[in-house]
Amino acid sequence: MSRALIHVPPRARAGEIIEIRTLVQHPMETGFRPLPEGGFVPRLILRRFECIYDGAVVFAAELHPAVAANPYIAFRLRATRSGGILFRWIDDQGAVREERAGIEVI
Amino acid sequence: MTSRRFSTALIAALIAAMTSAPASSEAGDGRRSGYLFMSPQTRAMQDDDMANPGMLTVLEGAELWSRPTGPAGRSCADCHGADGSGMRGVAARYPAFDVAEGKPVDLAGRIRKCSAEHLLIEPPAFESRPLLALMTFVAHKARGTRVTTGEDPRLSRGIETGRGLWRTRFGQLELSCAQCHDDNAGRRLGSAPIPEAHPTGYPIHRLEWQTVGSLQRRIRGCLTGVRAEPFPYGADELIALELFLMDRARGMPMETPGVRP
Amino acid sequence: MRGIRRCTGLIAAGLMAASVAADACAQVATYEIVGDGIPIPLQGAEGRADRGRAIIVDRQKGLCLLCHSGPFPEQRFMGDLAPSLEGTGSRWNAAQLRLRVVAPERLDPDTIMPAYHRAGSGARVAPAHRGRPILSAQDIEDVVAFLTTLR
Repeated sequence: MSRALIHVPPRARAGEIIEIRTLVQHPMETGFRPLPEGGFVPRLILRRFECIYDGAVVFAAELHPAVAANPYIAFRLRATRSGGILFRWIDDQGAVREERAGIEVI
Repeated sequence: MTSRRFSTALIAALIAAMTSAPASSEAGDGRRSGYLFMSPQTRAMQDDDMANPGMLTVLEGAELWSRPTGPAGRSCADCHGADGSGMRGVAARYPAFDVAEGKPVDLAGRIRKCSAEHLLIEPPAFESRPLLALMTFVAHKARGTRVTTGEDPRLSRGIETGRGLWRTRFGQLELSCAQCHDDNAGRRLGSAPIPEAHPTGYPIHRLEWQTVGSLQRRIRGCLTGVRAEPFPYGADELIALELFLMDRARGMPMETPGVRP
Repeated sequence: MRGIRRCTGLIAAGLMAASVAADACAQVATYEIVGDGIPIPLQGAEGRADRGRAIIVDRQKGLCLLCHSGPFPEQRFMGDLAPSLEGTGSRWNAAQLRLRVVAPERLDPDTIMPAYHRAGSGARVAPAHRGRPILSAQDIEDVVAFLTTLR
């Protein structure tokens, strides 16, 4: 079970630039870590992060094996409309994890 | 807990102001937390509960704390309070004297004992993810409180045992903990500044480990580094060392979960 | 047998165990301290300065740069626990350097400098290193040969 911490300001003025910060629990296993009995721990990493707000993907990132465990992604977006913000993480097996937050725009 | 299923689950979506971590600093008597030996960037990571990876482990521990388990369907919360509020300051007095065992017990040992005796389950393995999560959750409740370990006179013998180990030259390299951490704190071993070894942030998220780990893991790593055979997890010697170190750190504020390089 | 310590007390156990232990003991040369140095090279080995430099900068073998800095421009993050190796060869001769590397505790019992050529007497030596010196007699001579070139 994976956890995430998301910081979204609860309130913003229309047009204001706000900062969103996310920290998701994930081992980001590179596939290069050797096992004591030989072989390697299989690769399992996040590949893509998206933030969907007001009907559009407002921020996206590609992740690679060099990104450390528990990726911390922070970005800015312009507050336009009150409503939900969707965060989506996709791993290299295609599994998708989503979290939601809400913002009030005044 | 090795499942890697990436499922949607309850999360703590922290809105509004971030919780502030206490300033991890000197006790006023010249003792310096390992926090002060880190770069500003790493300190910033520890200070921000939104960026501190150890907080993810705290959340994990909070979930385990409330989860009913075992044949009687009990949880830690049933006895100790839903949000662990009864745990404030507890970790700051560990290792403590266990009357039944007649010897010092560390937080890991206490949690394992509780699991067996009250939750009626197989105690979580040393350094396992569930045990570390519970340890981090409990120790986080003591963040900001001052270490009080060692005030109990029944612990004095254990502290002396720990002090003896602290001064023992271990391994093929024949180095003692004291030679680095008492005599050379502040100087660098290769690229790494040597801290004073106050365990006020444990369990820590160590960037080198990419995960949270216990003081026992750290000490075992050091012993391996001087080419000694480390004590096994749960060994009395490791508990004695922790007891000595926490007594030595008495009065310093707890920082759990610390972030370290 | 010059330089090889006879391993007493290895009579018991199997032939295999005895030969393994004897091999470990044979790795530790005997030496004589004369004044403030060890004048005779260990096991009569001839040191090579280029090999000595490679040992010194190897942080898994010589371990030297974890504590010492020195004239090694390609090296980064050398430790500051011990004096720079710069000019070592002009401060001490080969015999004096040999003593400092082999048995530094003779000069300072509390030193953090490891004794590089003894079957370690530390507590709980890891099985892979038990009975073995950190550096072999040949390694020691290589290191001494290099250090004497630092002027």
